[in-house]
Amino acid sequence: MRRPRYQNVLLHAILIVLASLTLTPFLFTANNIFRTKKEFDQSFFSFPDAFEGLIKVSALYLTGNDDQVEVVDGFGAKEIVSRDEAFGLYIDYAQQGPSKAWSVLRPFMQNSFLVSICTAIGVCLVGSSTAYILSRYRFIGREMVFLSILSTMMFPAVLTLVPSFLLVKELGLLNSYWAMILPYIASGQVIAIFVFRSFFAGLPEELFESARIDGAGHLGIYLNIILPLSKPVFSVVIIMNVLYTWNQFLWPFIVNTDGSKHVIASGLFIMARSQEAQDFGLMFAAYSISSIPLLVLFIYATRPFMRGITSGALKA
Amino acid sequence: MKQEKFSFTFTCYAIILPTLALLFTFIYLPVGWAFSRSLYDFEIGSESRFVGLGNFREYLFSDPTFWPSMLHMGALTFFLVCVRLTIPLVVAKLIHSLSTEKSRYVYRTIFLAPIVVPGVALQLIWMNLVYSDAGLLNETLRMIGLADFTQGWLTNPDTALLAIMVIGFPFVSGIDVLIYYAGLSSIPEDVNESCALEGCVGIRKFFRIDVPLVLSQLKLILILTIINGLQAFENVYILTEGGPGYETTVPGLWMYYNAFKFQRMGYACAIGVVLFLMILTLTIINIKYFRSAEEVKEGA
Repeated sequence: MRRPRYQNVLLHAILIVLASLTLTPFLFTANNIFRTKKEFDQSFFSFPDAFEGLIKVSALYLTGNDDQVEVVDGFGAKEIVSRDEAFGLYIDYAQQGPSKAWSVLRPFMQNSFLVSICTAIGVCLVGSSTAYILSRYRFIGREMVFLSILSTMMFPAVLTLVPSFLLVKELGLLNSYWAMILPYIASGQVIAIFVFRSFFAGLPEELFESARIDGAGHLGIYLNIILPLSKPVFSVVIIMNVLYTWNQFLWPFIVNTDGSKHVIASGLFIMARSQEAQDFGLMFAAYSISSIPLLVLFIYATRPFMRGITSGALKA
Repeated sequence: MKQEKFSFTFTCYAIILPTLALLFTFIYLPVGWAFSRSLYDFEIGSESRFVGLGNFREYLFSDPTFWPSMLHMGALTFFLVCVRLTIPLVVAKLIHSLSTEKSRYVYRTIFLAPIVVPGVALQLIWMNLVYSDAGLLNETLRMIGLADFTQGWLTNPDTALLAIMVIGFPFVSGIDVLIYYAGLSSIPEDVNESCALEGCVGIRKFFRIDVPLVLSQLKLILILTIINGLQAFENVYILTEGGPGYETTVPGLWMYYNAFKFQRMGYACAIGVVLFLMILTLTIINIKYFRSAEEVKEGA
């Protein structure tokens, strides 16, 4: 069935409008990274001064003009310098906001990385080994175990938020990484077990049987059969988990009573409530920096992630 | 033989022990506490006092925030349900109707891309960029000569709730589009072909064929939206802290304030239990009465 050409053009037009509406706030954010507080006071929307300067100086290079240039810095002071110096000054000027934002965010970022990586490793280890047992062996009480895992889906976060805090406090885990990692693994493993289990159950039994005949134990089967065959599933689980952990804001905010282990999400919130929030350029730079790690993950992992969803991993 | 069976069961349980230990410590224990502590007047560091259903009675019948907050929660959830069941589905259909696989992939990627921005950052970006005094919304109004309408969108009691709702406009980013797209892709090709033969195309096909066949996806999103909508309060906390006054307070936020501002842990647990029971009821109704096409077929 061939569709008329104009119809395709119309589809593209609608989708492009929707896509640009969706991306507009993020494009403005990206533009604002390089703008200073003074620029925001003058006008909320404009191209960064530093970039205009850079373009002006680059034009001088292209035309072979080596006149002196007038540079206006972030505080309004004027200087007349050579074009090489002007270039350097404008670069300095542009990276002020981002580098200041980075110096504030760096400890948060490190904590986020540590917590996300530990959680992802924990969920993969615990989830896949449990799923392996549940999918390949029948043992006494298996149904009960399965049901007890399944029924945790019934309990929303809002029910357990306050008692979980009380628990973590009783266990003496407040202000530690464990206060985040252990509960994240506990809740993250549930979905992981389902994803792993349905995949492992689809693997041919002959593989496992021949491994067993060759004398492989559980560990041998896990390392030599499960792991090499399940890389795509592992990547889906890891991506889902990192997305979840990276976005957690309230829990780290609550369990860090002394503020020493804040992660990126809670750190941004703290920043937005502090004096620094007056500097819009700094804040926009912070928002952008906080998105970079997931952007990198996204670029590397879009395909497996989309395949995972499209293949029906998420279906009621 | 018996010995062997015992050791087999033992090994199985040894391997799943970490899962069980984590589940019982960090999920079942808090769930149990939520119910038990809701019966106490309980503050950290002081004696707890058994009050029976007193906390529930206070919340349901004499808490002045109860009805307004439920109303706000209802409005926010209802809006999200309306939006998430329609717009992403239409967009998925539009993408699905494109003629080349490559363009379909590109659009899916574009609409998925915003998930890289952390939720907190998204809320703050909208707060700073769109709703601030000189933000996108006010500047646009000034530009088109409607300067009278400029206002502090999140601080004006008339607009605050609406402003919270429309964050994320036009509501097509994230995995909703992908989930619907997966549903549309799984419609068998012969169904599409016989439709075309019968002359059922365009909008008619969308309502007669596509929508009924993605009912299971619609149901999934409906349940998820309701569950999230009833417990969501992080966005409200970030944007308005429930203000101005109590104009945007939702029950979850009130629970949070009771626990971490007023130190009324028992009362907060009671609010959590009330919300849990509401979510449970709605989910059961959903599963029972909104059956997808496949289930109807299986049942018949």
